[in-house]
Amino acid sequence: MQLARRLSVLPRVQFSFAWQVGLLVITFIFLFLLALASGPISMDVSQVLQSLANALVGADIQSQADWVIRELRLPRAVMAMLIGAGLAVAGVVTQGIFRNPLADPGLIGVSSGAALAAVAVIVLSNSWLAFWVQLTGTFALPLAAFLGAMAVSLLIYRLGTINGQTQIAMLLLAGVAINVITGALTGILTYVADDQQLRSMTFWSMGSLAYGRWPEISALFLCVLLPLLALPKFSRLLNALLMGEAVASHLGFQVQRGKFILLAAAALMVGAGVAVAGMIGFIGLVVPHLMRLMLGPDHRQLLPASMVCGAALLLLADLIARTWLAPADIPVGLVMAILGGPVFLLLLMQQIKTVRSS
Amino acid sequence: MIQVKNLSVYRGKKAILNDVSASLVAGKKLAVLGPNGAGKSTLLKCISQEISDYHGDIQLENQSLSEWPALQRARSLAVMPQKVELTFPFRAHQVVAMGRAPYGDENQSDELIRQAMLCTDVWHLRDRPYPLLSGGEQQRVQLARVLLQIWQPNHDAGRAGIQQRYLLLDECTSALDPAHQHAIMTLADQFADQGVAVLAVMHDVALAASWADEILILKQGEVLASGDRDLLSQGDVLQQAYDLDMALASQYARQNQQWLEFR
Repeated sequence: MQLARRLSVLPRVQFSFAWQVGLLVITFIFLFLLALASGPISMDVSQVLQSLANALVGADIQSQADWVIRELRLPRAVMAMLIGAGLAVAGVVTQGIFRNPLADPGLIGVSSGAALAAVAVIVLSNSWLAFWVQLTGTFALPLAAFLGAMAVSLLIYRLGTINGQTQIAMLLLAGVAINVITGALTGILTYVADDQQLRSMTFWSMGSLAYGRWPEISALFLCVLLPLLALPKFSRLLNALLMGEAVASHLGFQVQRGKFILLAAAALMVGAGVAVAGMIGFIGLVVPHLMRLMLGPDHRQLLPASMVCGAALLLLADLIARTWLAPADIPVGLVMAILGGPVFLLLLMQQIKTVRSS
Repeated sequence: MIQVKNLSVYRGKKAILNDVSASLVAGKKLAVLGPNGAGKSTLLKCISQEISDYHGDIQLENQSLSEWPALQRARSLAVMPQKVELTFPFRAHQVVAMGRAPYGDENQSDELIRQAMLCTDVWHLRDRPYPLLSGGEQQRVQLARVLLQIWQPNHDAGRAGIQQRYLLLDECTSALDPAHQHAIMTLADQFADQGVAVLAVMHDVALAASWADEILILKQGEVLASGDRDLLSQGDVLQQAYDLDMALASQYARQNQQWLEFR
């Protein structure tokens, strides 16, 4: 036991926070430039930087290379960054609220709620939901997914809150039930879908960044950036919540209100991500774990670090998805699962070990 | 001063607290005793506002408790829960630092944090991950956090603010060895000497006799007896409170008498 205690302290080599985040940011910038440079046609870094400068000042497209970078690769890279950052931070937030390092938006049914709403729009766009498509136009899918995520969040929040206190076990079990129900409904919708709809659903349910264009990205940008800007204010509440809601309220935090805002922020980021790119798992689980191993559990550092790390990780996964079997474009959700699954298992085993030794 | 007036709490049709009145006076130490399920913790949870659907009134310095802003309340009323589960690997000193959360100066309070941790004898554990500490060590770390919350008098509260400080302890010595039990209660004494009103929910009658100024005994949600600490040397009171055998009750009463004389 004494040995185990010593070991648990050893592997966490402590660099200062600034150094670690600096390292993350440099990795992230490197991956960003690499993502823009690589593909079926390789580009020079100078061309990439030139195109980025062009895009920033809003100059006209100047060459084919410029067009490829600015209209094909840049939107995709920006989308990967936004979705990765959003999913990772949503993971941090839900794990904080539920005080469970294994909780993630997928687990409590938020992702599948968003997915169900989106699938419903795809399949029923010519019949029951025609009015919705008419009403919202090109935003039909993202808006529906966000509403689905929000609805599940509110429902699960209601189900799990008794006498003003959240019962964690109830919340997690309700999440399981909601996953089952939405899964079944999605299955039924799949049955009534035609071939064309099935095709777009399949790609979408595996998670892919291939369909993002600037209009979708601007909506995504808003949905991810607003919560990200608001969240640092809540990092101290998240820290206190890890000791339980009672303790947090003793410390003077507005627990119920804060929890609601946090849940809504997570739903917004997850819903927006699911709408544009489908179900991409593991980021919300793996990134917070890695960052906790590096930096410890303090949310004041965990939130910004997870944001950068999530963005970098999805950039990397998408880079692999695009280039590994090129010209085939593998759904990035599958790549993430292959990358993330083993990491998740390792973390799980590590956790069981610490539980056993203490 | 905190005044609990005719407090009742219902769960379904059952009253788990029924018409309980008590007061918590500056500088005084109140021990709340009673058998399991008597409503001791419920009373504490009402005062700490974890339970808000109670009937009756709780007044904090002549204003209804729920009317005080949460942050202001947190700066003068600290609560030590029975057990705090924390599965994330915070270091002990990070946990203690959260006691400064109501003031928002966790990063500038290193000296205060050190003092609080020295007081509860956990300074040597400061860099250890909290989940790996033993139950007793965890309790002492939590106590340091709780004490830090009301470490200094509320000078900047102003005339309109809460003037006194209050400390609520919910069986906070349950996982401690006798030496640490008495060390912690002595610490509570020191706070009381500074004018802090202390309420402690306790199971150990002897510990209560060795420490408290005033006693409140609850049974089945109602006040069975309240008053001076001498109450604990009366065998019939103990007999009624815990449904003890008379022989056992008088044995406890004699023991408590010795504790009272020992002080």
